[in-house]
Amino acid sequence: MGELLRSLVSSVLDAAPPLIFAALGATLSERSGVVNVGVEGMMRAGAFVAAVAALAMPTPLAVVVGMAAGALVASVHAVLTIRLRCDQVVSGMAINLVMLALGTFLLEALFSSPSSTPPITQLPGWAGHPVTTWLAFALPVLVHLALTRTAWGLRVRAAGEKPQAVAVMGVRVGWLRAGAVLASGALAGLGGAVLSTATLDRFEHHMPTGLGFMAVAAMVFGRWTPLGATAAAVFFAFGDALRISLGSSAPGLMPQGVLLALPYLLTLVVLAVSGQRSAAPAALGVAWDPEVR
Amino acid sequence: MYTRAVALTNCWRTPGPGRQYARMRSTVLALVALSLVSACKRGNKDRPGADQPKAGLLVGLVTDVGGRGDQSFNDSALRGLESWAASSKFQSGSYTRLTAAERSATIPAELAARITPIEVKPLVVQSKAQEDYQPNLQLLVDQGASLAIGTGFMLENAVEAVARANPGSKFLLIDSPVLDTKGQPISLPNVRTVVFKEEEGSFLVGALAGLVAKDKVGFVGGMEIPLIKKFEAGFRAGVKTTNPKASVLVQYTGSFDNVQAGKQVTADLLDKGCEVIFHAAGSDGNGVIQAVKEARAAGRGVFVIGVDSDQAHLAPDAVLTSMVKRVDLAVWQAIADLAAGTFGNGDLRMGLKEGGVAMAPVTLDFPDKAKVLEQVDALRSRIVAGQITVPANQAQLDSFTPN
Repeated sequence: MGELLRSLVSSVLDAAPPLIFAALGATLSERSGVVNVGVEGMMRAGAFVAAVAALAMPTPLAVVVGMAAGALVASVHAVLTIRLRCDQVVSGMAINLVMLALGTFLLEALFSSPSSTPPITQLPGWAGHPVTTWLAFALPVLVHLALTRTAWGLRVRAAGEKPQAVAVMGVRVGWLRAGAVLASGALAGLGGAVLSTATLDRFEHHMPTGLGFMAVAAMVFGRWTPLGATAAAVFFAFGDALRISLGSSAPGLMPQGVLLALPYLLTLVVLAVSGQRSAAPAALGVAWDPEVR
Repeated sequence: MYTRAVALTNCWRTPGPGRQYARMRSTVLALVALSLVSACKRGNKDRPGADQPKAGLLVGLVTDVGGRGDQSFNDSALRGLESWAASSKFQSGSYTRLTAAERSATIPAELAARITPIEVKPLVVQSKAQEDYQPNLQLLVDQGASLAIGTGFMLENAVEAVARANPGSKFLLIDSPVLDTKGQPISLPNVRTVVFKEEEGSFLVGALAGLVAKDKVGFVGGMEIPLIKKFEAGFRAGVKTTNPKASVLVQYTGSFDNVQAGKQVTADLLDKGCEVIFHAAGSDGNGVIQAVKEARAAGRGVFVIGVDSDQAHLAPDAVLTSMVKRVDLAVWQAIADLAAGTFGNGDLRMGLKEGGVAMAPVTLDFPDKAKVLEQVDALRSRIVAGQITVPANQAQLDSFTPN
């Protein structure tokens, strides 16, 4: 039993971090009032750029470059949704599509391979897991404190609930939101970079395989709070680990199809048990326009 | 570009209800602009009529969406056509001649005597999406290709349609028979199809795994579909033959494109004590190999067995061997038959005997290596001689007894 638990925990520690970073990112953006379904695309940018940068510099530095790439992609989202007030969902989806194509295109253009970049040095580990794993459990607390205990956090949350109030106080809603979206992109980029520098030792053309959407789901499941989103991400990873562990240790216990659906069934059960009214920020998805009351 | 910029800036000035549409339109325009930029840059490297060596027959090949450089299925098919048959290599947009040494470096030792150069002119068209298959094949026919090759089961529909529309042309379909609307195999007078007996190759690597491991081996499959079950059945039978006491732990990731899933299930199998793990999981397999590589770096004596092509280059110190599908041989054989005038239709099934599947050379060291390899080779000879019938599904596996 102890052995089983140890292996479950180890599996969660490996699988949860990218999801946690991306879910934190999504939370930041949405708390400021900007829907971010472009997390998937920002993760892809982070994964690709970190792997390419790691060819030329130490991997930890490359991860930072990957975060910058995520933020760069997020800046497109910020300009489209905040400055130009385009539809936030459409912009996010467009980013996903463009990044999907751009990643494959650059892979072929730079490395003439449709499948992956050359291998790189992996991120160093500590106590059997990559350093990012430990960061993934420290960062949620920091983001939580920043959102709830600082003036900036209060303003960001207000921008997502009642931007008029923020504007009346003389704070610029657009810049607040832009800052949150950029931070969101950097976190999503970090999540992507973990995939290409810690999970694998190169960028593989399918990355991040829907993890970005999982992260958005984790954010909703976690009721738009950093700690909630982290708990949800860990829960998803745990469901996955449980399925994998059951699959090999008790073959035939249940059909593979049911096993593969297990994490989602678990999620449905938890949602049904904890079901309450939605906790979405009131001004989420509404572009800030000072002339509209 | 200017009009687009105007459209983009307009959307925050448009008052009233029109604004919503303007926003959506501008986002779509931005997307179109970006994709135009990438489309322009892409260029068409494999454009027909590109600089090619002067030669006789024109042989065309359509890749599946994996395309050139997938280090697997498509590259193998391209090797059969470009390196083995046409003695050429494709580099920055055109073909150059291979020297004899370069060419023989691409051919495995056991086939060296058999694979002779054939005077053909290659014409390769890459597919970027499913919708490309049919027009690409038709393009080859229109360019006057004596043989058009469809690489991969995904091209089944396209090959069937184009072959019916062009009864005068010849086609080769790899990895699938031609199927009618009910999914039953049919044969067309101008199509040769080749499928592989993956179970036989999997049996051999299973036999090797059984000899190398003491009591636990693992199998990681992608989606749980009949093709992958074939790998599993053959692998289990192989382990059962050489190490009846060993248990085989099996995991399916449910995908072919998720590296993380592959790594996670492998970490679980390693945790449970598997010593050798065989994967048939497409891109998930990259995660499988990665997990084993990391376990070895942490000091565990575990191995992984690759699939489709020799995957040793991905982790030279962890990949014990690979179950190789010789797509290159199938392609070369079809071209050789074409040149000799003996190309006929029909459904070929290539197993160990025909050289369609094989075990990649074992370069790693482990205890009793010579003896183990001898045993595996003896099993190989018995399969080739028809003394062992390798199970290809669960039912056959249940009734399989090693002898």
